[in-house]
Amino acid sequence: MTITDCSQSSGQPDDMRCEVAIVGSGCGGATVARVLAEAGRDVLLIEEGGDFVGPQRLTQRDLSMYDQLYADRGARTTADRTISVLSGRVLGGGGVINACDVVPVHEAIWRYWHTIHGLQQWSPQAMAPFVARALQDLSATAITQDQVNRNNQILRQGAQAMGYTGELMHHNRQGCVGLGTCLIGCPLGAKRNPRMVAIPKAITAGARVLVRAKVVQISAADRPDKTLLVRALDPKGYHETSTFRVQAKRIVLAAGPVGTTTILAASGLGNDRLGRGLSLQPQVAVVAQMPDIVNAFDGIPQSFALTQFERNDEKTGLGGYRIESIFGTPGILGSLVVQPGIEGKAAMAALPYVAACLVLVPDEPVGQIGQTWSGRPRIDYTLSEEWKTRARAAVKTAMRCFLAAGARQVMVASAPPLVVHSEKELAQVDGLSFAPASIGLISAHQQGGTPISARPDAGVCDPDGQLWGTPGVYVCDGGLFPTSSSTHTMAPILTLGHFLGAKWAATWGKT
Amino acid sequence: MELVTRRRLVGAALLSGGALGAAALGLQLLREKAPPVAGLRVLSAAQHRTMALVALTHIPPGGPFGWSAADVDVAGLFDQFLADQPASDQRDAGVALDLVDLGPLMFERRWTTFTALTPDQRLAHWQAWSVAPQATRREIWQSLARFTGMAVYDQPGAWPHIGYRGPSLARRTGPEQGP
Repeated sequence: MTITDCSQSSGQPDDMRCEVAIVGSGCGGATVARVLAEAGRDVLLIEEGGDFVGPQRLTQRDLSMYDQLYADRGARTTADRTISVLSGRVLGGGGVINACDVVPVHEAIWRYWHTIHGLQQWSPQAMAPFVARALQDLSATAITQDQVNRNNQILRQGAQAMGYTGELMHHNRQGCVGLGTCLIGCPLGAKRNPRMVAIPKAITAGARVLVRAKVVQISAADRPDKTLLVRALDPKGYHETSTFRVQAKRIVLAAGPVGTTTILAASGLGNDRLGRGLSLQPQVAVVAQMPDIVNAFDGIPQSFALTQFERNDEKTGLGGYRIESIFGTPGILGSLVVQPGIEGKAAMAALPYVAACLVLVPDEPVGQIGQTWSGRPRIDYTLSEEWKTRARAAVKTAMRCFLAAGARQVMVASAPPLVVHSEKELAQVDGLSFAPASIGLISAHQQGGTPISARPDAGVCDPDGQLWGTPGVYVCDGGLFPTSSSTHTMAPILTLGHFLGAKWAATWGKT
Repeated sequence: MELVTRRRLVGAALLSGGALGAAALGLQLLREKAPPVAGLRVLSAAQHRTMALVALTHIPPGGPFGWSAADVDVAGLFDQFLADQPASDQRDAGVALDLVDLGPLMFERRWTTFTALTPDQRLAHWQAWSVAPQATRREIWQSLARFTGMAVYDQPGAWPHIGYRGPSLARRTGPEQGP
């Protein structure tokens, strides 16, 4: 497999040429690279992060893995520090660091985009073959009963006791032995993610791949041969070491909503909708103290989903909420403790007895990606009152489930912590203000920023994923979604990759 | 009239500048000189000391287990982290730590600094930052608390106390439980 590491002296490239330069190697970029390379196109895939495969590189340690696998070393947040904005910065992108949840776009959402947003090509029927290809890439299967760990069993028991419906989720693991560190990479390579599927196939089909190469700007975008300004990074990816240029007939930006928007803004491209319409899908953690040992560190972290309150509506899009079990590794859990002093240590000492879940509350696209004075991304996001109301309802549902499963107390990690011991105390949840920096929320599924639209005044890209007004510059990542696609974006972005890749392969003139 | 106004303005500016200068000098005198720390790349010795005490306050010795921020060079790790961050982040972090140190004076009107407080006083003061009316203080609290938690609990010495048996692959392939 030929992957050029630009941080190594032997990998320092001279200026390069290609037909298609793809920026970002996650679910969108890797899939498009594969489809186009297999169609005979001359593809160069450029990734800012490093290549992390196997136990020597994927060490299951928080500090080093968040540092190396996540954007901004795992420290990216909204401007008000309320929401941790997690996204991959590694060859294979978010698929390397996600919890392997396969949740395709619901048919009602395709219909919503088709009818309400006027995206004629996005009907359920037209998209079905591309959904199927995405699921095939992922080797998607249902998680089996024996793979459900105690943490997930507790949420399921509680949901059943409350009469709520739920399901064992589909995932993209093969050969999983339940190491439990999915969020900081699988050293056994059990995830069927872009790094393990699309990228090897793209390379076999002739694509070239660069890692530790950061695209900072597009120039000459109006000319047949466009130019990417690329900076080679040092081995840790912290600093720029040299600069080179890539000339390409076509450029596909797939660096995620924040990365893609930042490159376009730095290049003076995109219309006045650029960076707007950002969905973060903020998630709230709910933690339960159980009477018996849970040992949530072990096994698949996320296998059961409470789906009763999810809303896929062809008139209004994705709404409601969904609840899923989750757990992490010691460092990330320690970083979320909100009680300083001995009290916080007591909370950590109780971890063997802790069950935890996330409430996933889809949002309206109300956020905005901009830039700081120094040119770095700035994410402005204000939680809407409607979202807060739904989030409080979701937190109450999660707490009810845990209490029904026998929890001694249930908590939201706000400052001060919100602790509930019984149904009658649930009214306290109405007091959750979600004031900036008073609670740690998580965003793992950013969407929007470069939305696709039927009209130039309603979005940044046309229905073919091409920038309105800039022929030859395209986008293929979660930024294209005009509204929230799904509670998990891996399968939806892969679907887009197949859809747009096939379209581009068929319609772009040969050079 | 215009001249008088200008004179008054100049006078007011001088007075304000003088007051600010005196306040700055007072604050510098208030802060005890921090002992030098070898190898710092971003933080000053005083900022390093403040970060070390924030970490020690956040995760102190004692309680349910002995492992604490005293067992990890959290301030040193923070300095290392900042060294590879953009200059704007380095500046912000330095200002944040200075603000924490001067917190008792600025927000509680006590003529002392965070580093000069007793451990109990520090805990009470630090806790107040998490629920402070000023969003900036809460943001600083979130940032420093998250870094401290990550740094302290990512260490093997912490794991036996929190029911974590260590990286699972090593456990599966290690000599004790070989394949």
